[in-house]
Amino acid sequence: MSTEHDPGAAPGLFQIEEPDAGAPKRRAAGLGIGIDLGTTHSLVAIAPHGAPPRVLEDEAGRALLPSVVAYVTDPPRVGAEALALQVEHPDRVLSSVKRFMGRAPSDIDEPIPYALGERPGDDGRVVRFDVGGRLVTPAEVSARILEVLVARAETALGAKPDGAVITVPAYFDEAQRKATKDAARIAGIEVYRLLAEPTAAALAYGLDRSEQGVFVVFDLGGGTFDVSVLRLDKGVFQVLATAGDTHLGGDDFDRVLAEHLLRAAKVETPSKHVRAEALAAARAVKHALTTQPVAAATLPRAGLEGFEVTREAFEAMIRPVLGRLRAPARRALADAGVEKDEIDGVVLVGGATRVPAVKRLAERLFGRPPLDDIDPDQVVAQGAAIQADILSGNPREGVTLLDVVPLSLGVETMGGLVETIVPRNAPIPIRARQVFTNYSEEQTGMTIHVVQGEREMAADCRSLARFELSGIPRLPPSMARVEVSFQVDADGLLTVTARELMTGVSQTVEVKPTYGLSDDEVERLVLDSLDHADEDFEARDRAEARVELDRVCTAVRRALAADGDDAALLPPDERRAVAAALEEAAAALGDPARPAGELRRLRERLEAESEPFARRRMERALAERMAGRRVAEVERAVGDAKALDERRGGHHPTMTPPAPATE
Amino acid sequence: MDDPFAILGLPRSADLGRADVDRAYFAALEAAHPDKVAGGDEAARRRAELAAARINEAYRALRTPVGRLETLCRLGGIDLDSSDPKRGAPMPDTAFLTEMIERREAIEAARRAGAGALEDLRDAVEDEADEAVAQARRALAGGDVAAAARALVRRRYLARLLDEIEEAMS
Repeated sequence: MSTEHDPGAAPGLFQIEEPDAGAPKRRAAGLGIGIDLGTTHSLVAIAPHGAPPRVLEDEAGRALLPSVVAYVTDPPRVGAEALALQVEHPDRVLSSVKRFMGRAPSDIDEPIPYALGERPGDDGRVVRFDVGGRLVTPAEVSARILEVLVARAETALGAKPDGAVITVPAYFDEAQRKATKDAARIAGIEVYRLLAEPTAAALAYGLDRSEQGVFVVFDLGGGTFDVSVLRLDKGVFQVLATAGDTHLGGDDFDRVLAEHLLRAAKVETPSKHVRAEALAAARAVKHALTTQPVAAATLPRAGLEGFEVTREAFEAMIRPVLGRLRAPARRALADAGVEKDEIDGVVLVGGATRVPAVKRLAERLFGRPPLDDIDPDQVVAQGAAIQADILSGNPREGVTLLDVVPLSLGVETMGGLVETIVPRNAPIPIRARQVFTNYSEEQTGMTIHVVQGEREMAADCRSLARFELSGIPRLPPSMARVEVSFQVDADGLLTVTARELMTGVSQTVEVKPTYGLSDDEVERLVLDSLDHADEDFEARDRAEARVELDRVCTAVRRALAADGDDAALLPPDERRAVAAALEEAAAALGDPARPAGELRRLRERLEAESEPFARRRMERALAERMAGRRVAEVERAVGDAKALDERRGGHHPTMTPPAPATE
Repeated sequence: MDDPFAILGLPRSADLGRADVDRAYFAALEAAHPDKVAGGDEAARRRAELAAARINEAYRALRTPVGRLETLCRLGGIDLDSSDPKRGAPMPDTAFLTEMIERREAIEAARRAGAGALEDLRDAVEDEADEAVAQARRALAGGDVAAAARALVRRRYLARLLDEIEEAMS
């Protein structure tokens, strides 16, 4: 959490500089790569300097890198060689981790095939796989996959890529997007943009054919399902609506089929090895059934030999999974305001759309045979490569992408209801505001609970962040005015700002939602990552921690000098605790060898000890401001208090739900 | 408050079509899209994000016919999203409110009577909502912002009723 003074952003008056004020500086055209970080496999493609996109292959000529990481050796193995170890080491070979990106263990409503671990401070918010005693997060596992793809691109380009466009399911929420960005950070690659997978696919199709009209992209990957409705018009790709399910994909077909095979083998409680074997066999059968009517499965460990599965039987098994594809498809059309007969084309994306039953369903849902002439596994990476080329400074004639926010964003109000601030399918980037008020005169703080989802009750939505805006003046009910504004950037990532409008002192609290992994930890993971554990990073990390600690020390000293003797603001026992924390921090600053982690801990302690003091000072300052004291004096005090308030992350005072104001 | 018409470079008119708004929107974004400065410095990117956000906000206000009419009312001095007695949404008359309450109760009865009854109810409410929009358009053409606002408030009530009917149908 940070605070900032932003006088230019009065409601309705916020001034922006015109975009043509001063030619935007661009770097020289660079090397951008497109990465499809998929549930079951990942790809990298390039389209340098306007060239058609090309998917890159490894030395063995394989384009698809299985999204599998084996923590059997050190360093871990990635891809096909990791997959080969899966039946032997089911505990240490991680696959389909995309399903766990940005999730807490409690979010996951399917059996997790791996052992999980926890670190102090996780509070059950972070998935950590325990691979032979070592804990790794989904973002770290994804980082290992990204590293391999980046290395592949480096070989093809003959130079290190400058940045990447990484695709995410359109229906990925805030936390899942953030986790993907963190994975890239850990892998040491700059992210030009997170791009929705269906949008990427449309880009690959549209550029190829200069299409016009309304297109539906039906994207069924290994673990995620997206439907997007786009309008293509003279190089403008406008996403009209998107819907989906981030826990639905071809993996679900495998699971259903694997269970069927295990039943056939009369295995009631399969070991992890047997389960892994059954899944591998199910995948093979599924693939075979796309082109032939019957396929046979053999499970040596389970004692099943040449067991035949017909396409008909398979389709009957997966019918419940197929049923779940219908609702998002209908919702996307309804949200886009598009009728079936207005659709000009349907594009199939994702390996699971090879299943004939899926193709037939897509045709039925949209009333026309789908296009599948670009390899459905490769089309997303190709689109990402095109976008990466544009963003690296190679403008392609007239291509503009207009994307949307997939899920509504809002805040919790009285009674646990959600007040939507940015409705789903609003074009991004976007900024939206809403004014809230107090419900009683006693209320001097307001808890802003930011949620994402379509449900009416906050408890049913995904919680993104919760923070307290304090220092609201005592005013009769419904008289206070707090403006909450949401800003969603072009990656679909959100920043929330809350401002108190009545006192004239603008207090701004800015929150970047997180999903349990703190920025500090991601930073540490960046450092831990094999390629980057060099002295430079450690030194920089230490220097940054030092600067932050020094800043807090200075703010505390200033506050103590001004009001330290006022027992009403700082009772003696609190003062002793603050002084002790300050002394220890000063000693650490005098010792250049102190590690960054310790400096951070000292800073956190000093912030925690001095926080009540800072709050009382701020409250008094605001009260005095209301009473008409000199503005400059008050602002100085508030400024000091804010400096202390800065980075007071994780602190949640008693919740006082805000009530919405209809101004 | 910003004027979305001005941001998109459009005349303040109730007669604009979706195609006019789209064309103006694409043209405005052509220059301001964050992609155009993706390789630029942080400040340029921030500026572009803000400018694009402002354009998107304007587009969101104007992309539907109702949005355009409501925006014209707001620019004419009546903000339908506000409950201010003078400059906010006008209260519908009691007869209309009573009627809405009765119709809400009618949803339950129609549900019991079967799908056909709900569809009839939906069609009737849809027609009325369309008529309210047409009334607002006529009022604005005649310069009567207050009358347009009253019609648009009725439309909002009807739209909410429609949501409830559709929920009952699903």
